[in-house]
Amino acid sequence: MLGQPRCVRVRAGAHGVPLEVDRRRVEAVRESWLIEDRWWTGRPLRRRYWEVLDAGGRNIVVFHDLASGEWFGQMG
Amino acid sequence: MTAPYTELHCHSAYSFLDGVSQPDELAQRAAELGYEALALTDHNSVSGSMELAQAAPSCGLRAIHGAEVDLIAPGGPSADGTPPVPGVLPPASGSGRADGGGIAVPAGTAGQGEPATRHLTLLVRDARGWRNLCRILTHAHAGTREGSGRERSEPAVDLGTVLDHAEGLVCLTGCATRGVHDEPTVRRLLEVFGPENMRVELQRPYARRDRARNRALEGLARRLGVSCVASGDVHAHDSRRAELQDAFVALRHRTTLDASEPLRRGNHSHVMASPAAMAARFAEHPGAVRESVRLAEELRFELTSELGYSYPYAEDPGAMRRLAELCQARLHERYGPAAAPGGRAVPAAAFAQAAGRLEEELGIIDGLGLGGFFLLHHELLALAREIAREVRGTDRPSALLAPGRGRGSSVSSIVCYLTGLSHIDPIANGLLIGRFLHTGLEHLPDIDLDFPRDIREVLIPRIHERYGADRSALVAAFPTFRARGAIRELGKVLGLPAAEIEHAARAAEHHWGQAGEHGVGIAPRDPSLARSPRWVWLQRLVAEAQRLPRHLSQHSGGMVLATRPLIDCCPVVPAAMEGRQMVQWDKDSCADAGLLKIDLLGLGMLSAVERCVDLIAEARGQVVDLSRIPYDDPETFRSIRRADTVGVFQIESRAQMQSLKRTQPRDLDDLTIQVAIVRPGPIQGGAVNPYIERRQRLREDPGYAIPYPHPSLEPVLAPTLGTVIFQDQVMEVARAFAGFDDREAEGLRRAMSRKRSQEALEGHRERFLAGARAHVGADEPTALAVWEMVSGFAGFGFPKAHGAAFGLLAYQSAWLREHHGPEFLCALLNEQPMGFYAPDSLVHEAEGRGIPLLPVDVNASAADCTVEDGGVRLGLGYVKGAAADDVKALVAERARGGPFRSAGELAARCGAARATLERLAWAGACDGIVEGAAEPEAGQGTGEHSRRRRRLALWQMGIAAPGRPTADGTQLALPLELPSAPRLRSLSRWEKLLADYAATGVTVGDHVMAALRPRLTAHRLATSAQLARLPQGCAVSVAGLVIARQRPGTAGGTMFLLFEDEWGTINLIVPRVVYERHRPLARAEPLLLAHGRLERSAGETVRSLREADAERVPPVLNVVVRELLALEGFIAFEDTPAPARVHRLPRRPSEAAGGDDGADTDDAAALGAGLRAVAPPVQSFAAGRRR
Repeated sequence: MLGQPRCVRVRAGAHGVPLEVDRRRVEAVRESWLIEDRWWTGRPLRRRYWEVLDAGGRNIVVFHDLASGEWFGQMG
Repeated sequence: MTAPYTELHCHSAYSFLDGVSQPDELAQRAAELGYEALALTDHNSVSGSMELAQAAPSCGLRAIHGAEVDLIAPGGPSADGTPPVPGVLPPASGSGRADGGGIAVPAGTAGQGEPATRHLTLLVRDARGWRNLCRILTHAHAGTREGSGRERSEPAVDLGTVLDHAEGLVCLTGCATRGVHDEPTVRRLLEVFGPENMRVELQRPYARRDRARNRALEGLARRLGVSCVASGDVHAHDSRRAELQDAFVALRHRTTLDASEPLRRGNHSHVMASPAAMAARFAEHPGAVRESVRLAEELRFELTSELGYSYPYAEDPGAMRRLAELCQARLHERYGPAAAPGGRAVPAAAFAQAAGRLEEELGIIDGLGLGGFFLLHHELLALAREIAREVRGTDRPSALLAPGRGRGSSVSSIVCYLTGLSHIDPIANGLLIGRFLHTGLEHLPDIDLDFPRDIREVLIPRIHERYGADRSALVAAFPTFRARGAIRELGKVLGLPAAEIEHAARAAEHHWGQAGEHGVGIAPRDPSLARSPRWVWLQRLVAEAQRLPRHLSQHSGGMVLATRPLIDCCPVVPAAMEGRQMVQWDKDSCADAGLLKIDLLGLGMLSAVERCVDLIAEARGQVVDLSRIPYDDPETFRSIRRADTVGVFQIESRAQMQSLKRTQPRDLDDLTIQVAIVRPGPIQGGAVNPYIERRQRLREDPGYAIPYPHPSLEPVLAPTLGTVIFQDQVMEVARAFAGFDDREAEGLRRAMSRKRSQEALEGHRERFLAGARAHVGADEPTALAVWEMVSGFAGFGFPKAHGAAFGLLAYQSAWLREHHGPEFLCALLNEQPMGFYAPDSLVHEAEGRGIPLLPVDVNASAADCTVEDGGVRLGLGYVKGAAADDVKALVAERARGGPFRSAGELAARCGAARATLERLAWAGACDGIVEGAAEPEAGQGTGEHSRRRRRLALWQMGIAAPGRPTADGTQLALPLELPSAPRLRSLSRWEKLLADYAATGVTVGDHVMAALRPRLTAHRLATSAQLARLPQGCAVSVAGLVIARQRPGTAGGTMFLLFEDEWGTINLIVPRVVYERHRPLARAEPLLLAHGRLERSAGETVRSLREADAERVPPVLNVVVRELLALEGFIAFEDTPAPARVHRLPRRPSEAAGGDDGADTDDAAALGAGLRAVAPPVQSFAAGRRR
């Protein structure tokens, strides 16, 4: 399903900038944003999102779950 | 080292629900983070500016002033085809959708009916800029009260207005989501503001399209040749408030957190970050970061010194001479040989003393340049006098009374006495001038004027006329979040179930806990939920919201006047009431700005006293001049000592009554102390009990030596027996004990009267302790003890002069009550709401003194209550739901055509609406004109008879009243011969009581406890009349109707209840543990049963100077409660015969009038529910009277 997060492997550099996503090199960072929300529920969200271009020119959105430390990809 | 970044875009809580920090919190945090300057840019407001200007210098921060204004959209994207900046919201068009960039406007900014406005950040460069900002904001608010109900709409201003007032301002293009980002508008702004005063604003809120937007904005700036500046759009000073901001966003949009995701910022980047972190956040725009510092350096406007304000006459060179002439002339009238009102001679020594005092005061006033200030006040009073003549005419006795009087410390001044501002002779009363006027005065002194309500209503608009609508305005007030309101609002935002929120809100205390973070006890009914995240968050959000301003409101009576348009000093916005306007500053900010503030207060008791004087003249043809009544009337003081003071100004409350029995006031000086003593200041300062004890000791042993913490305090504290009761004593203690000069003492007083007084006071602590060592050589423990006395006082206390003014009014009202009981009661009933007791309690107490209350009657009542045969006739205006116009027409018709003889005739002649007639019948006003019930039936008591009449009246009115309006018009009432009524059951005694409560709020000739007493199954209940005969310490059970419940913050969790039964009142003390156990009952149940122990002080026989005059003082009685129960559990029904059973009352009177007699037998629970729905309002400590 589109938009459903799936685990990805990310190698990140200083300040958490992704350098590689699933072994594909990141060419450029287009945007980066932060979600801190749903703090009033039992499952608060704290995610740093990155929209990057990989070497093949594909647009990828990944996020770093700041609570668990895991990385997810959101668009196929 | 210079900080790399300056914050130029910051919101405080004065952005109302879009900012969660106080200006001083922001200033302090900014200084901690290393900022050198901070700009406050609240939405369409400068309400927080003066607070920032005051707080910033003490943290080493420089304040920059500005605002973020809402700009009315000039109609869609540009016509010249310039593409909207990608990632940027275009100026919202009607559809609320972007048509170029394809980005949806977030719901709620334009999509949910909110006007599509854009934001511009305006910063003040110089004094001219401040004036222009004030004018722009005034424009923005001008149309915000145009709706039919004057409900507030959102402020906004058009582009033209901003461009017309550009001088002295710097324009930034506004925030990320709603800023002005289209090229044509920015170009227009640039044409007028010029490149020096125009910046494209870049923000990085860590949202998805930040980078694209900022790159585009940078491109725009380059094309136009202006610089970019970085800003943070700060909304919170600390991360622990971050969540509250999200909650406020939901609250502002009247939705929940779960439903408001698109409206929120989505993260906590709105928390203030350090300059270095901000520079890092804008790593891609280093120029914009540098520009923030460079621009801030240029913005050098000082709000505290460059306002350019002056008040009328301030610069009039002849003012001082005119004031001196006025005072000299009056001096001879008041103190000269010809003075001597009432034949009392004024000794020459008093004249000399007064003349000396006048000279001294005029000298100080001249030195301070305040001649015009006093002249202005004198002029205002003359205006009030003029109004009094118009409103009341000159022939009524109340015309003798001055139309207003001073309260507060101004009363201590002889200049105020001579100019008519005060009615208290400062020489005769030994009032010192120091608190009010001294050479070190740095701010304008306060003069508070009390007016009867009718005068005040006319005076305020008249002042607008006299001094110019643009030169006078009311002062603002900022109601803050209170526990209950915060729980309700934030609970809803968190999506908690409504019933649970309401339960938690009702159980919460009126007062914020002193404990800080989690002081407010909030708990769901199901304790297992207490740890669920939403309940935990409710607790935390409510604690964080405390003390934050909730909205802009109007101060009760403060007005500011200026010689030039006020809108050049502070924005002026329309108030909720038609024809009134207010500045955006509250009283503290106005004082800091040096604005002349006059408090015009409406005082209900002044109006009541005047009504009373007029009633006495009408009823007895006797003219009472309250300024010439004897001020040592023995009967009046005897009543005061017996605490027989229900209805008397200031000394009628439960706490005051108990205190009166102990303090035993004997003259006006004692009353001056008495009105001041039951206040948070003396209570927290620990003055009350020592004062009362020492008075008792002194009565028993006139040689008793008062203990003083230090000998230097004796001259200052002797009048109050070694305790601090008056605010001015704090200053006198500081002078005498710690060697403060006038200026320092004044600083201490000002610190005490501020909103957050404790914090402000701490600043004076060290100076006080050091001063005590140096000045009088006090040791550490003594100095600390005296500081505790002084700082404990900070809550709130009266200046002595204020006590004298209030004490005098207390005496006057007690004198009227003593000698003109019916007229006094009548005046109180007509002046409601006022005072401590609801009309029902006033009436019951008066009945106990032999003043009968006559029921409301269409053939005898006027619209107001009236004095009739030594009693008081309830007015038709007391009938809830009876339209005022209908009542007026009814009374006029009766005067014209004589009494009404039947329900049919009433309906036909007076032309009142059906609802009014039904309400009148329900209230018993038509009992006298029912047909077919002329004679009591055999075997019926008169009570039964009157209840049968009420039922018949309801039935007959149901037929006779005109029909309800329909599409074809309303069927007019005809003087029909009414068919004879079916045999209707009488209203039960209980039903009649409930009907009285529901209809007028007053029960006449009966009491719920009298009605219930025969059915009570609880054993050995003591009545209020029996309590006085029971011994100290005995176990006792009492029951009654709750007429007051108080839980003052100063009482450590104890609740005080006042019961009323058919004989009088009972005081109950509910200790904290008992209160916690029975909280819902204690807080809300109207009928209670209490088990406990009787505490009585032995009644004392007070020796008087003349032995024959010895009087017995009733003992102070309190029931210390062990257990509270709902009385409805102790009412018998099973054994009562069927006709006497209690029936549930129909909801609307018309249902009963229709003859629905379905005898749905009821139980005690229904009985209780019936009363709960109509019980009279109850005095509660924090919130006044409420149900």
